[in-house]
Amino acid sequence: MQDAQPLDRLFQALADPGRRGMVEQLSRGPATVKELAGPANMRLPSALKHLRVLEEGGVVASRKVGRTRTYAMRPQALAPMRAWMREREAALDAAFDRLAQAMAAMPEEDER
Amino acid sequence: MSEVQHTTFTIERDLPGSPRHAFRFWAEKALKRRWTDCHPDWTVLEDRFDFSPGGEEAVRWRTAEGIEQTFTARYLDIVAGRRIIYAFEMSSAGARVSASLATVEFRPGGMGTKMLYTEQMAFLGGAEAMRMRIAGTGTGFDRLADVVAMDGAGVH
Repeated sequence: MQDAQPLDRLFQALADPGRRGMVEQLSRGPATVKELAGPANMRLPSALKHLRVLEEGGVVASRKVGRTRTYAMRPQALAPMRAWMREREAALDAAFDRLAQAMAAMPEEDER
Repeated sequence: MSEVQHTTFTIERDLPGSPRHAFRFWAEKALKRRWTDCHPDWTVLEDRFDFSPGGEEAVRWRTAEGIEQTFTARYLDIVAGRRIIYAFEMSSAGARVSASLATVEFRPGGMGTKMLYTEQMAFLGGAEAMRMRIAGTGTGFDRLADVVAMDGAGVH
């Protein structure tokens, strides 16, 4: 099974509704501390503190360019593909359920 | 970000009935549409089905939100009762999201047939389409699940 510590940190990071709001915002694209603080109704130092927790939890990563720190979801490059793959797998699972049902409803003996 | 990302996934299924019978549900349009039609609220704009090597299957829908979706496949290899290989693309709102090679294998076993579906996918993003598609589906938390999976496994 998985190492418990990253999970502990992850769940801790998500235990706060303000941080979850930041995650929702970041899932739509990277943002600066200022851009995140506004919608979360936080002052900059407070936003930064929360973002640090998210970063330690492995949820987000940050990058400093000049004087601006930008945050982004961590597995940024692979996340859309994984989301799409999961959607495909779920759709196929459901389709194959219907396939099994259709076959059961029309067994071979019943064919002409 | 890289333009194209590749991944492979497999789904194994026990199906009631012989491989020959299971195969018919892929090979005959009326039987196939019994299980591929899944969105009663989508309008079917086009539905072509030519199940033969080199033949094309093409379905085009309009979603309830008015977004056009396509599935276009070309059958490459067909061995009755045993194997189907096809290449296909999926698009949303005019942007191609992925292009894949799918291999479906049927073997006797279990309840009658063990079906193995393997998809080798080139993910193209179609950024706008993806954003529309995954908007409001809790993607933020899906990504968290990714984080967990990645931390745990590293590779899948």
